[in-house]
Amino acid sequence: MGLPFNLSEYLITDDLTILLALIAATVFLLNNLYKPQPLVHPILLGRQSDAGRARNPKESAVYRNYGTGLLGRFPIRPSKEVYILADLVKQESEAPRTLWSTKITNTHLQDRVASLGTGLLRLARLQPNESNVLLLLNDSLEFIVADMALASHCIPSFTLASSNLLSSVLESHPPSAIITHAFLLSQILELIYDAGEKTGHHTIIVVGEPSSQAMASVASNVKVLKFSEVEREGFKVEKVISPLPKPSDIFTVSFFEGEGGQLQSAQLTHENITAGVTATRSLLPLSHTPSPLDTILSTHSLSTPYGRAIAYTAIYEGTSFATQRSSELYHIDDQQNPSDGSDIITGKRYPIPAPTILFIKPQHLNYLVSEILKQASKSWLLFPIAWRHKLAGIADGFLTKDSLWDRLVFDNARAKVMGDGAAALRAIIVSGGAIDAEKMTPSRIALSVPLVNTFIHPLVAGPVLASHAFDLQDFPAVTNDVLPSPAAHCGPPSVNVEAKLVGVDDELVENGADPSGALLVRGPSVARLVSVEDYVDVQPEGDKDGWIIMGVRAKVQTNGSFQVLSQI
Amino acid sequence: MGVSFDLGTPVNTALFLYILYSVQRIIFPTTSKPSTIPNEFKAGYSWMPKTHPPTVLFKTYTPKTLEPFNGVDDGRILLAINGTVFDVTGGRNFYGPNGMYGNFAGRDASRGMAKQSFDIEMLTPVDQPLDKLTDLKPDEIENMKGWIEHFSSKYIICGKLVENDAI
Repeated sequence: MGLPFNLSEYLITDDLTILLALIAATVFLLNNLYKPQPLVHPILLGRQSDAGRARNPKESAVYRNYGTGLLGRFPIRPSKEVYILADLVKQESEAPRTLWSTKITNTHLQDRVASLGTGLLRLARLQPNESNVLLLLNDSLEFIVADMALASHCIPSFTLASSNLLSSVLESHPPSAIITHAFLLSQILELIYDAGEKTGHHTIIVVGEPSSQAMASVASNVKVLKFSEVEREGFKVEKVISPLPKPSDIFTVSFFEGEGGQLQSAQLTHENITAGVTATRSLLPLSHTPSPLDTILSTHSLSTPYGRAIAYTAIYEGTSFATQRSSELYHIDDQQNPSDGSDIITGKRYPIPAPTILFIKPQHLNYLVSEILKQASKSWLLFPIAWRHKLAGIADGFLTKDSLWDRLVFDNARAKVMGDGAAALRAIIVSGGAIDAEKMTPSRIALSVPLVNTFIHPLVAGPVLASHAFDLQDFPAVTNDVLPSPAAHCGPPSVNVEAKLVGVDDELVENGADPSGALLVRGPSVARLVSVEDYVDVQPEGDKDGWIIMGVRAKVQTNGSFQVLSQI
Repeated sequence: MGVSFDLGTPVNTALFLYILYSVQRIIFPTTSKPSTIPNEFKAGYSWMPKTHPPTVLFKTYTPKTLEPFNGVDDGRILLAINGTVFDVTGGRNFYGPNGMYGNFAGRDASRGMAKQSFDIEMLTPVDQPLDKLTDLKPDEIENMKGWIEHFSSKYIICGKLVENDAI
């Protein structure tokens, strides 16, 4: 009669209830408690840089990496025994690794460096502290050996960031000797003869076999030696020991074209390169630092400070290393690199083991990602579900390449695009341009490895700005009046760089807006800039206190990450 | 005594529907992004703090413009040592109006820091030129430099002090 009766009718339970209740409880727990842990706690992503507490008018505060802190000293060497370039080759490690196409141990490398150094001093009549040598070489083991040999005898090496600077450099800074490839010999001879008024002696050391026509055209004031002969000579005789260089000695000068088209040079000291190696190592977190089991592939030429820092990081960590053949500066014929980035796949490879860490440019990343997603979307049934799951994982800050969806969908796609070694890939660092912000998450899904977005500059050995390796944050696109599609942020300054913005609107910033202005940096990995005007080295006015102008406009977000807006 | 399975009962139907809904959520997770960026890390992984860390604009002060910053009406407290102005609002207990060293608030405290004294005689009146500190002994100058170091690490350097007619 009445309510209690009806209620108990509704609440009839039977055995099915027990079963369903158990399943419901399991499903509830699965849904709510089984959430994967984010790779980095989001609270850390809210404070990526340490900002100064006072700022000058029209400038922003000084920002440093949060790990370094405003009061901390910049790390300038990867470990306490490394002071100069030669210290980057660890004597204790015995295992051989492949550098380009040569399998070599550290001791053998040091022997080659010592032999070449002695041979150069004897045969090419170079004087420590007085001569300088132009390295017109493509990235290869000979480049490293020559660079280290010259550095150990305090002879600065010159490199060119692009091949069209050759004639201007030869005229403004005639080197005591040139080390180059055999196929470039006739070109060099022509340039030397054209600059007829310089009738001094020239020494050219040639890697490879020069053609007989080139040898026939050698004039009497030009001496041509073979690289292998110089090494052999140094090997036979007692090694010449020069006093050790100081960390503040310049070991290389990299010539590049400035914004106005004028010739500029970055003078790198030993301290700059050890700081650059430290910064490059810190791109990946401590748990993921390169080790002798890794292989690094780089698309940045060794003739730039950043490319050199990557190469010496590989040498320091004992990894195998090679550069992409398509990023060579000097070609036998005028072949053009494909600008869509497909050379990362189709380009000829050196016989290194499958690369585990890639240092590539945005066009390579975009090409890889579009190809992988094209391949993956061929499995029309599983791909949408896999995509949704990966996206949900990233929204919680979690990404792995060992998940079920990778095994089902993405591993196959990666193997089809990158070949058998695709599974070995464990980190990608992108530098040298801007990536669209909306392409970051698809790239992360396609590759499922830590992806670091960096900003580099021809004057800085190592990255200037580098995003956190585990940062998976994805913000809804904000329409930006400066760029049609906003670029992804580059993270905080690198561990040994401090940055500030100038030309900032004080009123806007006092009201809480993001400061935006020209980017200036300072730090131990920033080389000295020297402009070349009318064949004379001119120290630019620059900013006092050693701030170097980067030539881009940038904006700082509230979490301390920098967004590069445009070139100035 | 057989087992009875009746899906039609209300309890069973409710549980069954709940299970279906949860399984659908597991197989097809939500991928919608919030329309506004969250300002707390608890509200979402892709969050952005609401404001920048506070920074102080570096300004040039004269003794007259520095004087109001003595914390009397709960404002900022500034003091100057050897031409550098420090924001000591964090040390209100010491430099506020009722603090032990309250005399220094809004003034040039160089002489007092050097001679380790908090007397009124150490301060120069605001309408007179700045204390040149020429008659200080070397150990007093060292003492003053030590105080500058202490202040630089503890408080914010927010300006410099120049003569009244320099601006």
